Amino acid sequence: MSSAPIPLSPLCQLPAGRTGRVTRLTGDEGFCQRIREMGFGEAALVTKISGSSTSLCLVNGMRIALNHGAAMSILVEHLPAAAR
Amino acid sequence: MAANVRPPDPGADGRGDLPPHIAAASLPRRASPASERTPVYAMVGNPNCGKTTLFNALTGLRQKVGNYPGVTVEKKIGEAYSQHGRPMKIIDLPGAYSLAARSPDEAVTRDVLLGRRADTPQPDRVICVLDATNLERSLYFVHQIFDLGRPVIVVLNMMDLAQRAGIEIDARELEARLGVPVIAGEAVHGRGVVELRLAMSRAELPLPRHRWDVPAPIAPAVAELQASLSEGDGRPPLVARAEALLLLTDFDTVRVAGSTPLSARTTGILDAWRQRWAGQGTDWSGTLIKSRYDSIHRLCHDVTRRTRTQGPSLSDRVDAILIHSVWGWLVFATIMALLFFSIFTLAEYPMNWIDSQVAALGDWVKSTMSAGDLRDLFTDGVIAGVGGIVVFLPQILILFFFVGLLESTGYMARAAFLMDRPMSRVGLHGKSFIPLLGSYACAIPGIMATRTIEDAKDRLVTILVAPLMSCSARLPVYLLMIATLLPGDALPAGTKAGIMLLMYFLGTAGAFGFAWLFKRTLLRSSPPLMILELPPYQPPRFKDILRHMVERAWLFLKNAGTIILAISIVLWFLTTYPKHPDPAASPDVQIAHSFAGQAGKVIEPLIKPLGFDWRIGIGLITSFAAREVFVSSMGVIFGVQAGDDNTAPIRDAMRAAVWPDGAPLFTPLVCLVLMVYYVFAMQCMSTIAIVKRETNSWRWPLFQIAYMTGTAWLVCFAAYQAGRALGF
Ligand SMILES: Nc1nc2c(ncn2[C@@H]2O[C@H](COP(=O)(O)OP(=O)(O)OP(=O)(O)O)[C@@H](O)[C@H]2O)c(=O)[nH]1
Ligand SMILES: [Mg+2]
Repeated sequence: MSSAPIPLSPLCQLPAGRTGRVTRLTGDEGFCQRIREMGFGEAALVTKISGSSTSLCLVNGMRIALNHGAAMSILVEHLPAAAR
Repeated sequence: MAANVRPPDPGADGRGDLPPHIAAASLPRRASPASERTPVYAMVGNPNCGKTTLFNALTGLRQKVGNYPGVTVEKKIGEAYSQHGRPMKIIDLPGAYSLAARSPDEAVTRDVLLGRRADTPQPDRVICVLDATNLERSLYFVHQIFDLGRPVIVVLNMMDLAQRAGIEIDARELEARLGVPVIAGEAVHGRGVVELRLAMSRAELPLPRHRWDVPAPIAPAVAELQASLSEGDGRPPLVARAEALLLLTDFDTVRVAGSTPLSARTTGILDAWRQRWAGQGTDWSGTLIKSRYDSIHRLCHDVTRRTRTQGPSLSDRVDAILIHSVWGWLVFATIMALLFFSIFTLAEYPMNWIDSQVAALGDWVKSTMSAGDLRDLFTDGVIAGVGGIVVFLPQILILFFFVGLLESTGYMARAAFLMDRPMSRVGLHGKSFIPLLGSYACAIPGIMATRTIEDAKDRLVTILVAPLMSCSARLPVYLLMIATLLPGDALPAGTKAGIMLLMYFLGTAGAFGFAWLFKRTLLRSSPPLMILELPPYQPPRFKDILRHMVERAWLFLKNAGTIILAISIVLWFLTTYPKHPDPAASPDVQIAHSFAGQAGKVIEPLIKPLGFDWRIGIGLITSFAAREVFVSSMGVIFGVQAGDDNTAPIRDAMRAAVWPDGAPLFTPLVCLVLMVYYVFAMQCMSTIAIVKRETNSWRWPLFQIAYMTGTAWLVCFAAYQAGRALGF
């Protein structure tokens, strides 16, 4: 494990402009399955474009809007600002 | 052996690769459409990847195209001709991300593909449309389709956008790897359509070659279920495999309405495996998805090349404004204001022109026919009724033009994004706003569009409130009342637009309010989670928009020429007979004496507290068929009443109307209250029919009539009585 602990937080708390890596999905099973099927599952890189209550994210070149509940149930580790 | 369960490898001649129970069944080596039967193609792919554009290009039909996910929500069948002139059936399907359907529109796609719909032939071949800008995700669905064991043609669509984004795809390599024809194209520019037709014309199409082994932890379950499905449930071997995979990943597949229930043995096996996994904590669905993505990832790595890394695209820069929490709302408000303003200013000229033509026609009939009932039928029934409504065609077209603009640029999905926050306050999510926004044009497509909503209760709430959004059929009513309310052209268009905006606001607020109420009482459910893809902005496709406008115009005129014509004639009859014993009786006396007059008097007590008299009452009744019938009914009633030598616009006749005591009928207050009535009341047969179909029962449409019309009465009562008390 790397020395500095990587902050882990729900996607809705990722600051705009920053990139994170999806580490865990919570929420109901159907939702998790769909998120994974859309290529948004564990290990996917996600960049937050904007949003406070509703988030707009960039995943694999697609723009995906998530409401607050959805963004709450996706946990990401923040990557350093340079890593993209 | 279970790990061997995989699609056949067409590379070699033999069936060595196949597990014995598949090889034993007589699986056609290459599926060739039997010459006596028309081959059936299904058009599938992710939402918004261009399926319908391609379908239209192939069949010459004009199904609706728009730049947001969820435009097509029902299967559409069309016909195309092969290179040799043979007919081929093509089924356009709603977009889906996966066979594991999450919403009713995706379920349509799944059920057609699996041959579960009795009204649709099972497709022999599948055309998979891929979004080239998003190859990996597009291939996930294709990967599932491959499991169905049908010949597949892959269309790599949106190559122009991919190129612009710096993505290069080696279509030949992809073709070699998948073992099925791959056609690169741009459906919107007609590129690739000829090649696709050629591929579809081939008598023989290869089965997919792409290999994928079911992950080891799941393989035994798949094998066991597959065997049971093909033996116990009579599924063809490969369909059995695909269905086994689906049953293991998607709970809902088991209880699909209309499909034949699974055999007890299959259900037993399924339950046993689920329990075992639940005990072990195996995430079988996650494992399955990951395994598919791993194989797709390797494939994509080999066939795609990024020529440059992408900075923020134009869409991103536009989005920075349009979904901004301040600017976004400003733009939204500006668009709406512009819409209403243009309805009043731009439409003025064509409207006046139609008005004068209708008047001229009436005068011509009057001067050529001899006086009598037949002439009155033409002038007071047909021309006053149908002509009265046709003048509003320009406004309706402007409305459809605006909605078309929003749909084809990609703004629709942004409006949903923007609206997510207010919608979450009432317990729905932003996606529900797309059907609501569509309902501004017409509630019927709006209610259909609710099929994209995953949660059944949320969908029902959206269906229940959608007709509160002011649709284009209310437009004539509002316009007529505003014209009666504000005489003369001296008043600025701004005031009229303002009143109209108020009515739209009232309807929208009502929709939100009732959604809030229903989510808390009748249809309680947890707050939904929303995932919505925002498509890149596209320049508006004026051809598509115009086509849609022409279609709507035609529908409107057809309605005017059939239903409204019929109602007008019947109404004319009812207002003319029986004749008053005194032939010299004034038109007022005559109409009061008629059937309609008598019927109107019966209901008058019910509506008098709202400030409406029996003539308005007749309009309220006839407009149960459709709201715009109110306008034609007023045309007939006040046309009949106006007597012989008058073809003035209805609004003038209405303005002159009085109560028996001589007080004016259409006071400004009454005009406003009448508009409010139409904001809330459920007055549309077609909507009732569609709600019945979509909810599969009479309960909800009846409830809808009760709550909407009840609200209309109460609100109008309060408004009228308050207005009177304040001295209006
Ligand atoms: N740039 C570009 N746009 C395209 C292409 N093909 C389709 N479009 C546009 O993509 C949008 C979606 O097209 P549709 O045909 O409605 O897509 P669909 O797959 O039927 O969508 P759903 O019915 O919602 O699943 C429209 O705005 C089209 O004009 C293409 O090759 N290039
Ligand atoms: Mg479509």
